[in-house]
Amino acid sequence: MKVKLLAFAVLTALVAVFPQFAGNYPVKLLQEILIWGIFAMSLDLLMGYAGMVSFGHSAFFGIGGYTAALLLAGSPGLLTGLVLPAAVSAVAALVIGFFSIRVSGVYFIMLTLAFSQMFYAVTFQAAWLGAEDGIVGVPRPRVLGVDLAQPASFHLYLLVVVGLAALFLWSVVRSPFGHVLRGIHDNETRMQAVGYAVDRYKLLAFVVAGVVAGLGGALYTQLVGSITPDAFLWTTSGEALLMVIIGGTGTLGGAMLGAAAFILLQSLVSSYTERWMTILGLTFILFVLFAPGGIVGALRGRIGLRA
Amino acid sequence: MFVPDFFGQALNGLSYGVLLFLLSVGLTLIFGMLDVVNLAHGSFYMLGAYAGLATIAALGNFWIALVVAPLVVGAIGAVMERLALRPLYRRSPLDQVLLTFGFIYLFEDLVKWIWGGRIRSIPPPDLFSGSVTILGATIPSYRLFVIVFGFAMAVALWLLIERTRLGSIIRAGVFDAEMTAGMGINMPVVFTAVFAFGAALGGLSGVIAGPIQSASPPMGAGILVPALIVVVVGGLGSLKGSLAGSLIIGQAETFGKVWLPGASMMMIYLVMAAIVLLRPQGLFGRPLK
Amino acid sequence: MRVTRRAFLAGGSAAAASVVVGLWVSRSHAQGGPVKIGLVLPYTGVYAVLGESITQAMELVFARENWTVAGRKIEMIKEDDEMKPPVGVRKTEKLIDSDKVDILTGPVHSGILMGMRDKVHSSKTILIVSNAGADAISRERCSHWIFRTSFSNWQPNAPMGSWVAKNVTKEVFLTAPNYQAGKDQLGAFKETFVPAGGKIIAEDYPKLGETDYAPYLTKIKQSGAKAVYAFFSGTDAVNFVKQYDQFGLKGSIKLTGAGFLTEPDVLPAQSRSALGVITGHFYTPQLDNPVNKKFVADFKAKFGGKTPDGFACQGYDTAEVIVRALKAVGGNTQDKEKLVDAMAKTEFDSPRGRFRFDPKTHNVIQPFIYIREVREVTGGLDNVPIDKVADVRDPGTGCTLPT
Repeated sequence: MKVKLLAFAVLTALVAVFPQFAGNYPVKLLQEILIWGIFAMSLDLLMGYAGMVSFGHSAFFGIGGYTAALLLAGSPGLLTGLVLPAAVSAVAALVIGFFSIRVSGVYFIMLTLAFSQMFYAVTFQAAWLGAEDGIVGVPRPRVLGVDLAQPASFHLYLLVVVGLAALFLWSVVRSPFGHVLRGIHDNETRMQAVGYAVDRYKLLAFVVAGVVAGLGGALYTQLVGSITPDAFLWTTSGEALLMVIIGGTGTLGGAMLGAAAFILLQSLVSSYTERWMTILGLTFILFVLFAPGGIVGALRGRIGLRA
Repeated sequence: MFVPDFFGQALNGLSYGVLLFLLSVGLTLIFGMLDVVNLAHGSFYMLGAYAGLATIAALGNFWIALVVAPLVVGAIGAVMERLALRPLYRRSPLDQVLLTFGFIYLFEDLVKWIWGGRIRSIPPPDLFSGSVTILGATIPSYRLFVIVFGFAMAVALWLLIERTRLGSIIRAGVFDAEMTAGMGINMPVVFTAVFAFGAALGGLSGVIAGPIQSASPPMGAGILVPALIVVVVGGLGSLKGSLAGSLIIGQAETFGKVWLPGASMMMIYLVMAAIVLLRPQGLFGRPLK
Repeated sequence: MRVTRRAFLAGGSAAAASVVVGLWVSRSHAQGGPVKIGLVLPYTGVYAVLGESITQAMELVFARENWTVAGRKIEMIKEDDEMKPPVGVRKTEKLIDSDKVDILTGPVHSGILMGMRDKVHSSKTILIVSNAGADAISRERCSHWIFRTSFSNWQPNAPMGSWVAKNVTKEVFLTAPNYQAGKDQLGAFKETFVPAGGKIIAEDYPKLGETDYAPYLTKIKQSGAKAVYAFFSGTDAVNFVKQYDQFGLKGSIKLTGAGFLTEPDVLPAQSRSALGVITGHFYTPQLDNPVNKKFVADFKAKFGGKTPDGFACQGYDTAEVIVRALKAVGGNTQDKEKLVDAMAKTEFDSPRGRFRFDPKTHNVIQPFIYIREVREVTGGLDNVPIDKVADVRDPGTGCTLPT
């Protein structure tokens, strides 16, 4: 526990000072990693702890992103930039979750996928939402009198928000609520027999994950200044899924590492060779076969075909 | 002209539905029967189309391609299963997700490397290159062929699964692999065979769809989700369900395009969501516990 | 032994150090080093063929100049945007912030263009749009720093409206994929079609990426329209044209459209199904002018017999603009104002005709929009020009070229 806290503190410090000695592009990559990382971590809560594999998690990323894009144009602040997007995501997660919880397994996967694809269709065809080009020219919020268009302040702001969200997820996982979720993952019937309102726990997990995902989307819009319907695609959920699995499902921190690995692989390799898809594909395949616990698992020594 | 209007569109819906069945039947087999999450199903479809292209380029005959392409893709599937998938059967299905995702990237890039990224097309066989008019409705003769072929395929598969020894081995293995192995059946070989067969069916659909659609390295992504939807709507592992589901979705999508064109992007998701919510096990799936 | 190794290490490091210092010194003596041209294009995915065409044509021009302009070397930095806006934006940041490119070019995808516009504008980076046709970039979202050598979605379609009304029929069925770009393209057609007496029998917008157009084709047949005007590109164009022919519509209902319907990236796959289709475009390799003849011959010679297409022409013009503007300012990329000025004034003979930028929008003024018909020519099928409309410039509504 102490080791984990120490590691977290060291990493946070490193991230904070990174802009001092790195150029604009590496800093941007790091910031994207933080954002996709928190998105993946929220998915890990759902997948790795509650055992609910969702292919529709991008719905909340997109909802958070679009809400922020629409509201920030009017009055850029914390309320419009973070609070309201999170609230709207919560409501969406409540509604989508309510319907999706009724099924499980592959049906849950497909139903969540369907919901996010429907959002994609709607935003893609809605002229008032920018249609296929999405919303551009989104200003960054003003926080405590500071305009976050200034790169250094944005970096700190991003770090604080992501850090708090990560700590929040971590505390959820370690709480009694988190333990119940894990119990449900292990054996749902048993938990039900013992008297837990399993559906309510699953719905709450879904909403918590959805809120943090929405936060991720809002942060992404603020980082890039725009949002497109692509945010809702099932492939966006798929990439987050890959990040969780690569990092190590059910480890929370692994999701952030997985996001780093995925984004670095995708961005750096493609700058050097046109065959980046072959390299990425082979990496995934070899990774699965020889590093079954993901990055975290490998760090803990789980390496090899039979591990 | 209401009658040819309605009839014409119903015919369109039928041809689309049957094509959908052919696209997804391989996945029904692999996903429904082997319980393997094979996201690379779209890749088999793509590999089949390109194997077909290569065969036609070499031998000039569509019908030979229809036989050769599935064999090639089946072989690829067998190798993939034996080397990469088999070690993962005892592990979490999420690992299969990551693995097959990796194969999607790999196959797409390899095909692009060999054939280039240009869009290609398989011409329909000379026998079916025109159009016919039935009851005032015009339909390309190739699509009529697809309808007949699709139903014939459905019957053949049903006979295979329900009426042959191989079929009963597969059904037994799906029900209880240990028992079946205990009876002396070499289960690993059966699994490889079924996976290869599912891949071959995917490859076959790539050739069949070729004359109607175009071929390009990213084409696999476009059919993965519709195929998954058919499998889910029909009920996991049910051949009957797969056929019924495809036909229903075919008509729903077609008439959706006619009457509600703005919703065509999400029609298939609406249909699936409705069915999953109303009848979670799908049309013919086993009732969930 | 010890002495020898130490001596070797000492000697080796001295040699290495002097090489490094030498390079650094020679670098800082050179006129600021190479001119860096950034390319944000798709090199994977269906539209990779467009990215390739554009890049190849640029390489053709730069190679002709021996990769040097005004005493400086030309360096091309290619980044794959995968046709995905998040990736495209990321790569743009890399090229501007990390690689510090002098001139940025691309993209293919209008969504990526819209996403990169603000970064380009605020960093005062010169961008030459070598494909994306979003009208907005020549209208309300134009910028002093952004030029376009390709086209605006409006340009190939507007002349077709009155032409179709006069030369084909006045009863037309319109169709395009259901997205803003599709609607914009048909909108431009309507602008001149209706005033010329044209009647729109019906409009239909299949989803983007539709693979089965059967229901729409049946509707077209039932509609009674005498012709169809369509905008489709890529795999959509292949599927639509093939199925249009398979349903037997070509004989009775003339198929017309925006040039992308039958461009060389889709024509081979469409094959005989495309015969007789009439489209509007600013280019076809069949153009009979000396610059184009040389362009086609050089392109084929350099790239294994491949015929250039409209996208290649865009790449050619982009590279020509870069080379000519740089020559005009003596290779000085530090004074951006002067460079922008030189670019805006660039004029030359392009394969498509006389190339100029519209000073009001920095968008290319199409010397001609050619009306072309797909016919059999030596070597296969191609778009043969049968008519033309001169001097097509985008209306540029709302463009003030802000700095």
